[in-house]
Amino acid sequence: MSELLQAPPFAPRDDAILLREMNALSRWHLEGCPEYRKVWPNFKQATCFAELPFLHVGVFKNYAWRTRQEGVVHQRILKSSSTTGSASQVLLDNQSSTLQSQSSAAILRDSLGAESSPLLVLDDAKALLQRGEVSARMTAAMSLRPLASELHFLLKGGDAPEYLDWGKVAELCRQHSNLLLYGFTWMLWITWAQGAIPEDVRVLLRKTRIRFVHSGGWKKLEAIKVTRDQFDAALLANAAPGSSVLDFYGLVEQVGIIYPLCSAGFRHVPRWAAVLVRDPWTLLPLTSDHGMLQLMNPLALGAPYHSVLTEDLGRMVEGQCPCGRMGQRFELLGRMPRAELRGCANV
Amino acid sequence: MSDAIQPFGTNFAALGYDLEARLDAWDALRAKMVRTLPETFTRDEWAYLIGFVAKPHLTAILERTFKSERPHGGACSLFRARGPLAIWLPSNISLLGPLVMVLASFTGMPIRIKAGSKSPDLCAPFIAYLLEYISTEELRGYLQNQVKIERFDRQDPRNAEMAAEASVRIAFGSDAAVAAIHALPHPPNSIGIHFGDHRSEAWLDAAAVDDASLLTLIKVFMIYGQAGCTSPRRILLLGGSNQDAETLCNRMSGLWSQAVKRDIPMHVASSNILYSQINKVQGWKIHMQERHGAIIGVGALDLPELAGPMSIAIIPARLEQAIASLPANIQTIGYQLKDAHALLPAIARTNIKRFVPIAQMHHFGPVWDGQNFFRLLFEEVDLQ
Repeated sequence: MSELLQAPPFAPRDDAILLREMNALSRWHLEGCPEYRKVWPNFKQATCFAELPFLHVGVFKNYAWRTRQEGVVHQRILKSSSTTGSASQVLLDNQSSTLQSQSSAAILRDSLGAESSPLLVLDDAKALLQRGEVSARMTAAMSLRPLASELHFLLKGGDAPEYLDWGKVAELCRQHSNLLLYGFTWMLWITWAQGAIPEDVRVLLRKTRIRFVHSGGWKKLEAIKVTRDQFDAALLANAAPGSSVLDFYGLVEQVGIIYPLCSAGFRHVPRWAAVLVRDPWTLLPLTSDHGMLQLMNPLALGAPYHSVLTEDLGRMVEGQCPCGRMGQRFELLGRMPRAELRGCANV
Repeated sequence: MSDAIQPFGTNFAALGYDLEARLDAWDALRAKMVRTLPETFTRDEWAYLIGFVAKPHLTAILERTFKSERPHGGACSLFRARGPLAIWLPSNISLLGPLVMVLASFTGMPIRIKAGSKSPDLCAPFIAYLLEYISTEELRGYLQNQVKIERFDRQDPRNAEMAAEASVRIAFGSDAAVAAIHALPHPPNSIGIHFGDHRSEAWLDAAAVDDASLLTLIKVFMIYGQAGCTSPRRILLLGGSNQDAETLCNRMSGLWSQAVKRDIPMHVASSNILYSQINKVQGWKIHMQERHGAIIGVGALDLPELAGPMSIAIIPARLEQAIASLPANIQTIGYQLKDAHALLPAIARTNIKRFVPIAQMHHFGPVWDGQNFFRLLFEEVDLQ
C-alpha cells in the first residue's frame, strides 16, 4: 500500500485500485486471523465495495483481533474511551501505524493548511507514557503531530478544568502568534469554552490566532443543548481574527482515517477509503436514505479493522460539494438511538 | 373496612371488601383498555394486562389459592391478609411489577412500592392509568389512598421505613440486592418473598412439533428475547440429532415472517448483526432471521453460551444431558413433548419451578418461583 496515498486526499479516487487493495487485504486477514475466517468462511472476492466482508464495530469490545502474517509486528493496543462500560481494543502494528500517520496528516493538512505551529493538547503527558497502550484521545491528538513545530500538554494531574495550565498557555501566546489546539469535544467545552480563563491570559489569547481541532462526539453537548454554532462561537470569542474550529469524526477502529467537517456541513471520504450506508434490517446499501455507516480503508494490516460496520448513522450525498472537494461525501447524523431493555431477567 | 367474608368451597377469605364488585371493576376496565395503549407499554404487554385483569382469570387465581372442598364437619381454613405490603420493583422494565400489584391489591391492605431510581417502570404509569379510567369508587379509592409508589435509590432511608412497616416484603432483584432488603430491620412475624433472577428454556420432541407449536414458540420468544425470565433462552431438542436441530431451525426460519410481522428497532437489528459475528467465532452455526429480527444458533451443549439479547440456541440433547445442563436459576421449562408427564420423575430431581406448555411460558400466576406467593400474603386460620 498504497499508490492511493501518493495523491492529495480529495483527488479523484480510482475505485478499481481501491477495490483491488481491499480484496487483497480481506484475503490477507482471512489467511492470518482464524476468528475472522469463522465470521466470513465463504468470502473469495468482492466485485463491489458492498460485497466486502466487514466486522461490526461492537466486536472490538469483545475480542482483541489479531492477524498473524509475515512482517506484521504488533506494537501496542489502541483503546477507545467508553461511556458504556467496555472499551474497544485495536492492535496496532508498525507498518499500519506509518500508513495511518501519513493518512491522517494528509487529511488534516487539506483542512488546516501546511503551516506548522505549536500543538497544544488538552491531555496529560502521562497518557503518552503508558506501556503497550494508547488512548483514542492521545491517538487523535498525535494525528496532528506532523503539523506541529512543538508539542505541549496542558492538563497537569487531572481531567477537570482546574488542571489546565493557563500559565503554559500564556507563555506560548507570548512566544507565538499562531497555535494549534486539540481536545476532545467535551473537554474543550468544559475546560476552555466554559473554563475560567484568567483575565491576563484572555488578553493574550485575543491576540493569538488559534486553530481549534476537536473530535469525540456531541452526545454530552446535545444533552445540555449546546449547538455547534454556540460551541464554535464560545471558542472563537477568546481568539484572534482568523482563528478557526475544525471538528473531525473518526473511530479507533478506523485509525488513520478521519472525516473533517467541511464548510458545507459534509464529511469527505479520502481517496484511499470508502464509505457505505447500509439498511440495518437488510444490510442493503443505501444511496440517499440514512442508515448504518460502514467505513473501509486499506491501511490496517495487523488486524481486520479495515472494514467496519458502525452504529453511527449517516447518509450518502451525491453530486459536487460546494466546498470543492471531490469524491464521496456523507452527512453524519449521530449515534443510533437505543431503548431500555424490557423484561425481568438480569441480562 | 367491611367485615365481608368470602366463601371458597369450604374455606373462607376475610377480604374486607365486596369481592364480586372488585372483580367486576377490574373486568369493566378492559373495555377501556382495549381502546387505549399508553405509550409506556408495548402492545404485547398491554394485551397481557387486559387478559390478566379479566374476571374469569382473576377468579381462577383466587379459587386456586383459597378453594377447598372438605368433607362436611372437616377442618377448613379462614384466610386473612397478613397486613401492609412493601414491594421493591425490579430495576429493569418488567410487567411483573403491575401484575404483582394487581394480585396484592386483593389483600385490601396498604401497599408501598419502590420503583428503581435509574430506569422507567411500568407500575407507576399503570396506576396512573387505573386512577384515570377505573369507574368504581371503591377500587379507585383503594388505589388512590392505599397504594403508594415512590422512586428512590437503595441507600435511601425509606427502604428501611418500608421494611419496618410491612407485614410482607416482596423483593425483585439479584440475590445480593434481595438479601440486603430482607436484612433491613422488620417485624418478627413478617415474611419476605424473593423474586430473583431466573432463566427459562424450551424442551421439544422433534416428533411432537408442528407448525402451530413452532409459531407459538417464535412468538413467545420474540416478546422479550433473552431479557425475559420466562423467555426460552435455548431450545433443547430431546433425543434429536444435529441434523434434526438443523431441520428444526430451517422450519422455524420458514415460519418466521408468519409469526413476526413488525420490524424490530434498529439498534436490535444492529445488535443481531454484532452477535451473529461473535457467536460464529464461538463455533455456533448461525442463522439470521428475516430482517435481522433474531438469531438462531445451532450447536452443542459444550459450546459457550449463545450470546445476544435476541438469540436463541437449538441444541440436540438426551434428557439426562438436558437435566445436567440446567442452570442453577432455572425457572420455566416450556414444552412441546409427546408425553410431558413421563418427565415428572426427572423434573422432581431438578430446580425447575414451572413446567408448562410453550404457550404458557409468560403466564404469570399465584404460584411463582416455586411458591404460592399469593397465598403467602394471607395468614391461614385453622377452623374446626
